[in-house]
Amino acid sequence: MDEVELRRQLERAHADCFGWAMACCGRDRDDAEEVLQTVYLTVLDGRARYDGRSSFRTWLFGVIRRTAASERRKAWLRGLLLKREADGLKPEAPAPPDAEVERDSRCHSLRYALAQLAARQREVLQLVFYHDLTVDEAAAVMKVGVGSARTHYARGKARLATLLGDAREL
Amino acid sequence: MMDDSELRRRFAQLREADGERAPSFAQTYGRARARRSWRAALRMRPLAIGAAAAVAIAAVWLAHERSFSPSAVTPTIATWRAPTDVLLRTPGSELLGAMPALGTSVLDTMIHTPSNRGT
Repeated sequence: MDEVELRRQLERAHADCFGWAMACCGRDRDDAEEVLQTVYLTVLDGRARYDGRSSFRTWLFGVIRRTAASERRKAWLRGLLLKREADGLKPEAPAPPDAEVERDSRCHSLRYALAQLAARQREVLQLVFYHDLTVDEAAAVMKVGVGSARTHYARGKARLATLLGDAREL
Repeated sequence: MMDDSELRRRFAQLREADGERAPSFAQTYGRARARRSWRAALRMRPLAIGAAAAVAIAAVWLAHERSFSPSAVTPTIATWRAPTDVLLRTPGSELLGAMPALGTSVLDTMIHTPSNRGT
């Protein structure tokens, strides 16, 4: 795939990729953009090559997931080396809602509920409900078996429903 | 129990909210390309440092070589004279170096008289 075609494919998937990068970065916008830039750079440099074994979007989601994990590790190491706990690990749970950003309280309750889930459960639900992937495709992105992905999906969905139900009652 | 359609609706709202905060593709792609150029420049930095070091070493070596190289006025071994040769020149060495002639006085060679001035 040449650079022009690559750019076209990336542009088509950009909005989706940003949403997935947000999910992989604990919903931190700046981190998500940074990760996305790194991913585009990796793809443009040919350090990640699309081999056609899955859809382009599924492959790209896998690259984003790996890059975000790598950036998290780097941030953790930086925090460890500099002994700056305050700037070190970002919490998995989102920060308190910003009035300008969190206009919809329903979005906030969903974000909060997602943050309470286990990482694998959160990922599979995000991929299925947010990005309209099948559980099989989600398993490919997450690099887990389909059976494992189905288990995470079922458990995550039940837990999410409970959390959202609790939030509705409050 | 919350059904799938309700979950999908909520995720669609989240997607919409994220979409409003998303940077444009051109912006993200442009920054990625800028980072690529910057990285390429960084990758060239060790080469540039190496080249500069090589040039500096060569310049120092050349300067060193020039300061010790034989110049054009250096005498050959046949014409060379030791600087201490001057110490061997003693008073009256001219008399000792010339063959004395019969019937003449050594003093004649030293004193210029009108008679010997013409010879």
